[in-house]
Parts: sequence; structure tokens; C-alpha cells
Amino acid sequence: MKKLFAILLALSMLLSMSVFASASSEIAGTYDVTIWAPDAAVDLTKSQVEAFNSSNEMGIVINATVEPVSEADAASNMILDVSAGADLYFFAQDQLSRLIQANALTKLGQGAAAFVKDNNSAGSVLAAQAGEDYYAYPLTADNGYFMYYDKSVVPEEDVDSLEAIIADCEAAGKNFSFELENAWYNAGFFFGTGCHSDWITDDAGNFIAIDDDFNSDAGLIAAKGIYKLVSSPIYVNSGNADFASGSAVVVTGTWNYATILEQLGDNFGVADLPSFEVDGAEYHIGSYSGCKLLGVKPQEDAVKGAALNQLAQFLTNKDCQIQRTVEFGWGPANKEAVQDEAVASNPALTALAEQSNYAIPQPNIHGSWWDIAKVITTDVKATDGSDDALKAALQKYEDSIAAVFEMTDEVRNAFTLIGTVGGTNWDTDLPMTAEGDIWTSNEAYEMEAGTEFKCRQGKAWDTAYPADNFVVETAGTYYVQLDAASGEVSLVPAA
Amino acid sequence: MNEKRHMGLKTLNRVSNTSIYILLVIISVIWLLPFIFIVLQSFRVESTYQVGYVIPKQWGWQNYINLWNSDFKRWYLNTFIIALAAAVLITIIQLCMSYTLSRFRFKLRGPLMRFMLILGMFPGMLTMIILYRVLSDLGLTQANAVPGLILVSVASSGMGYYVSKGFFDTIPKSLDEAARVDGATRFQVLYKIILPLAKPIVIYTILTAFMGPWGDFVFARYVAFGTSSGYNVAVGMYSWLTNDQIARMYTTFCAGGVIVAVPVTILFLCLQKYYVEGVTGGAVKG
Repeated sequence: MKKLFAILLALSMLLSMSVFASASSEIAGTYDVTIWAPDAAVDLTKSQVEAFNSSNEMGIVINATVEPVSEADAASNMILDVSAGADLYFFAQDQLSRLIQANALTKLGQGAAAFVKDNNSAGSVLAAQAGEDYYAYPLTADNGYFMYYDKSVVPEEDVDSLEAIIADCEAAGKNFSFELENAWYNAGFFFGTGCHSDWITDDAGNFIAIDDDFNSDAGLIAAKGIYKLVSSPIYVNSGNADFASGSAVVVTGTWNYATILEQLGDNFGVADLPSFEVDGAEYHIGSYSGCKLLGVKPQEDAVKGAALNQLAQFLTNKDCQIQRTVEFGWGPANKEAVQDEAVASNPALTALAEQSNYAIPQPNIHGSWWDIAKVITTDVKATDGSDDALKAALQKYEDSIAAVFEMTDEVRNAFTLIGTVGGTNWDTDLPMTAEGDIWTSNEAYEMEAGTEFKCRQGKAWDTAYPADNFVVETAGTYYVQLDAASGEVSLVPAA
Repeated sequence: MNEKRHMGLKTLNRVSNTSIYILLVIISVIWLLPFIFIVLQSFRVESTYQVGYVIPKQWGWQNYINLWNSDFKRWYLNTFIIALAAAVLITIIQLCMSYTLSRFRFKLRGPLMRFMLILGMFPGMLTMIILYRVLSDLGLTQANAVPGLILVSVASSGMGYYVSKGFFDTIPKSLDEAARVDGATRFQVLYKIILPLAKPIVIYTILTAFMGPWGDFVFARYVAFGTSSGYNVAVGMYSWLTNDQIARMYTTFCAGGVIVAVPVTILFLCLQKYYVEGVTGGAVKG
């Protein structure tokens, strides 16, 4: 028996050694790979894969099928069925969390992570990061918006002032297109006044908290700025290249550069976003800046996975990024590529670079936020512009976030009462109010002998008192009181 | 006096007729405008993005040539194959089903009809996830989406028997009996006696069976995801509507819309006479 065991052991060692050997030395080979790239980039991607095949010295031959799938749709397509999805795909950075959770992205090894960190701009590196790990290769860092304008309507000296631009448009009867009923755009006003909205993820890409102050004094100023534009008859909620259909100003990104240049001809103007004035102070409208990333799907065959990572590094290197700038005007994420002549001579990329001084790198954002935050614009538009009405709109936004996530600072720190109290059964958090460290339940509850409860913080069990359930000994009507400093729980009979 | 009143009535008639016609013209203009708009836009070649005017400044076929050079050919063919196969198979299955339920008497006939009625009340979309799983295990997704989608649309078609069964019920049974006495088989009765009488309902069944897959989007997108060669026209053209492409593809999209409308329009023009009869015919007796 022992002998048999020894033989088996030796065999398994041999086997694992041979597997190891093949993984390290035999990366050479032909691999069938599916790549999803935006329609415009399909042909270029094919030729770049060819270039990889002829230039790599590892003997990797990629037999690629490139399918046109927009980077905006990548996650929704991948998540349908990861096993049938593409091996390599372009995606917009806000999909990172969803893709990690769906197990559709390979965590980068140390070498690949160093490649990403060493070569790309800080914002784009951040975009590929979740927790401590990196999950994708930055392709572009141009996913932001700025302002295109018609020079025959808006004189160059007016482009820094929102009020002046609105006046120019109203005088000329031309529209101002700004897709504010979309959280990606309306958040720019809030960032301009110093607000922030950050989602916090754990290493697995799960959202664990939000830190958001849109409902604040600074947020009120932003809401006033939004109101200035949306209350004007020339405001159009659109991000399309609308110059041919009556717009004099369009806020959009690099993807519309060629179209708008063609529409405006000699009157083509492009600039960073303007400032708006509230109570004598100027606020420059901010924006999101974002990236497109290249993701690698986890592979059952580790060797193929390694080959795919080599291909991904090639497709996101300096030369390939510059090719995309030349062909489609995409702004590179690569630090050296940014310095290249092709990038510096593109006016849209220059405007994007100016706007980037006021831009927030788009972090990982919970999918529900977009639907909640876009409503701010419609709510602000429906008000009469008074402080109270605008505050109500912001309060509604904060309530909506809290309802989805229940993780405002206040909720996270508050103690609540939970147990078999007041007709509930460990399923409802009953509110408590603090005076210093002493938390008291908002209501007195009628309790039977044997009623059990705890006081917990942030509706979670990380901090909860007492350690074992509190058991009521004598029936009566009591307030529950907690000393958060000592963790002591007591009953106070209601008068 | 008499004459005057007569005139008044005439004027009144004329006034009410005129106002009704004006109303109808306005409604038809509102209804037709989008179609005219799409047709006109599909011939605009001076630019490819959305513009604020309707009549093209330069006319040409460029958008249709673009269509021909894109994957649209493949999508169109896919859609056509699916719709055609579905139309043939669904019609056969549905007519056999209706004939059986109308003419045969068997033990579970009542419960079966009720069961299918109840099943039919669940929206088909509910089954999407599990159907995807099944199709994917059979290898009928993505590049093989066409047979997969045919299977999906045909598989449950027997449940849509109501209208044609209603029509068959109105055909006197004595005709069947006479044919049977003359030695016809059950199938011959269906084929030689009932179907010629039920022409409108057959046409109606073909039309609806063709139209379903022709305009399908949700399921087609789910089954063919991320594989251009498996798209149908709706899914394929939808992929042109992304932010970064719409400015380039807008007029091509319009041209695609026109091409998609052509076979359906021809089909309706040829068969509209029967269609109306079919819709009302089946409702005579439930």
C-alpha cells in the first residue's frame, strides 16, 4: 500500500512538473481569439493583431475574430454569458466593477500591473484598479466632455462665461445642447463647486459605502448654475452634434470632433467648459474624465491566458495608441504618446487637456447612481429657482441614494434598535437619537418579559451591544438607552 | 322655405364633411411624416449626421451603397431566413393544431385547450434566460443564432391556434362528413376541403408568423450577443446607434429602415384583402 502511495506521489509530481514546464516555455502556438472592438476600430484592430503576430518573438500567432461591439455595451454583453463572450474586449471604465463581479476580467499579474503603472497616466491607472489589484489595460484617456461652439454666434471673448454664452445664444435664437439629464454631465456642475461623490469598493469590487455631499451649500450653488441653463428656452438636452439642427453650442466629447468640424467649417470653435457666477463668485464647470480599457477574460488554459496578456500589452502600447489618435482622434492614456505631435495638434484633445484641470477621474460608480443623479436636472428644471425648491430637489437626491444604499455617514454612525420589539422580529431597525454618547430610542415600546434585542451601528453587526441579546425580565413600557462609550444597555421606564 | 332648408342641410353636410376631411388629412400627415422623413433622409448624401431640415440638398445612393458594404447584407439575410422559415413552419403547425382541436374529439381536448390558454398568458420573455441556456448548450447561439431563433419562434407556435380554430369552427361539419363518406382521409379533408375555404385565415397566419421574427429585437439580441454574423436587422442596426457612431451612421440607418420596410410592405399590399377577412373571419365564432 505504501509503495503504491509512493508511486502515485511520484507520478503526480512528474505530472505537475510537466504541466509547469509547458506553461513556462511553450507559450508559442496558434490561438483562436475573439476580440470585441467598437465598429470604427475593427479594421485597425485586425491590422494591429497582424502586426503583433509578425513582430512578437515568443512565437505567438493569434487567429483573431474581431466583432464590432461598442465599448459602451461591453459589460451588458459580457454579463449575459461570460463563457461565450470575447476573450479580449474594449470597455468603458465605469463597467469595471460589474465585470469583476461577473468574473469576466483577469487580475493582472505583477509584471502586467507594472506595465500598466509605468506607461500610463495616473487617472487611467486608477481606472483599471479595484482595491489593491489591477484588472485591465488602459486604451485611451479621452472619455470626457468639453464645449464645441459656433464662432459666428459666440464670440471668442465670451467662451469663459456661461451667462454670456446663454445671452449670445438667446440673441441669435440658437440652441445650447448640454445633456444634463444624464448624470455623467450634470455632475460637472457639482464638481465645479467643490462637491464630491465617491463610491468605495472592497477588493472584490463590491460597493461598500458612498461618500457624497451634493446636498450641501456648495451643491446648492451647483443647482443654481444648472437652473441658469435649463430655465433658458435655448437649452436642449442633447449630446449629439446638433449644429446642423439649430445649436450654437454643444457639450460633447472627442468622438464628435470630425462631424462638428465638418458642420461648422470656418466657424469651428472648441474650448473647455465655461464658468458660471453665483453671488459674485465664479465657478468653472467641472467634468468627469474617463478611460477606455482593454480587458482579458479569465481562461481555462493558463498558457492561452498568458498569450492574451502579451497581445493586450501590445494593443495598448504607445504605438498602437498613437495609431488610434491618428485614425479616430482618440486621446491616448500612454504617457509618452500624449507628448506625440499627432496628439498635440488635435484641437479637441487640446480642449480636453484644458478641461482636465477641472475634471475628476471617473471612479467606480454603482450602476444605480446614474438613474438617481440624472433626476436632479429634471427636478431642478421643474422648480422656480428659489433656494428652498432647489434644496428640496437635492434632498430628494440624497434620500434616493440613502434608500438604495443606506450608507450616508449619518446612517453609518447611528445606532438602531433591533429585536422582537414593537411588533418587529429582528427585521426592522428602530431609530435612536444621540445626546453625546448616550443613545435613546425615539419611542417607548411595550415589552413582554423575555423580549430580546440589540443595539447595532450602521445597520450592521460589526458593532452591536450588548454582546449577548438583551433580555427583558419584567414586562412594561420602556425606552431603550445605550451608552456607546461603555456599551452598556439599560431600560428606562416610560413615565 | 322648403328649398332653403334643403340648402341649409347641404351646406351643413358640406361643412361637416370638410372639417372631417381636414382632420383626417392632418392625422394622415402626422402619421405619414416619419415615413416620408426616413425615405428622404436615406437619400441625403451631403452629410451623414442628423440635420434640421428634411429635403436633402444633395441626392444620391451613397447610403444604400454603404449598407451594401456593411454587415447589413448578412443581417438582412439572417432576418429573412428566420422569418421565412418561421412563416412556413408556424403556419403548418398552427393550422394542423387548429384543425385537430376544431374537428377531433378526444379526452384531453378541453383541458389541453385551457392549459394552453393559461400558458399563453405568461409573457414569452419570462422564459428568456432558460431558453438561452438551452440554446447555448445546443450550440445554437451567437454565430448559430439563426437556427436557434427559428427553433424558438416555432417551438411554441401551436399555442396560437385560437383565431384559426375559431374560423374552422364556422365551416359546416357536414362538408367533412361528405368528404369522409367519399373516402377522403382526415388529411385530405384538411388539405382539399377546409384550407381552400379558409384562405383568408391561412394568409393571416402566414403574415403574423412572418412579422414576429421580422421585427424581433429583445430575443435576437440575447441569443446573438456580440457576434455580428448572427444578428438580425433590428439588433444590427441598433448597434449603430451608440454615441460614437450615430453621427457617422445616421443616414445609413435611415436607408436600412427603408430596406427593412420593403418586403413587409409588398407582402401587405399583395395580401391585404385577405388580411382584413382573416382578422374579422376568425372572430365570428369563438
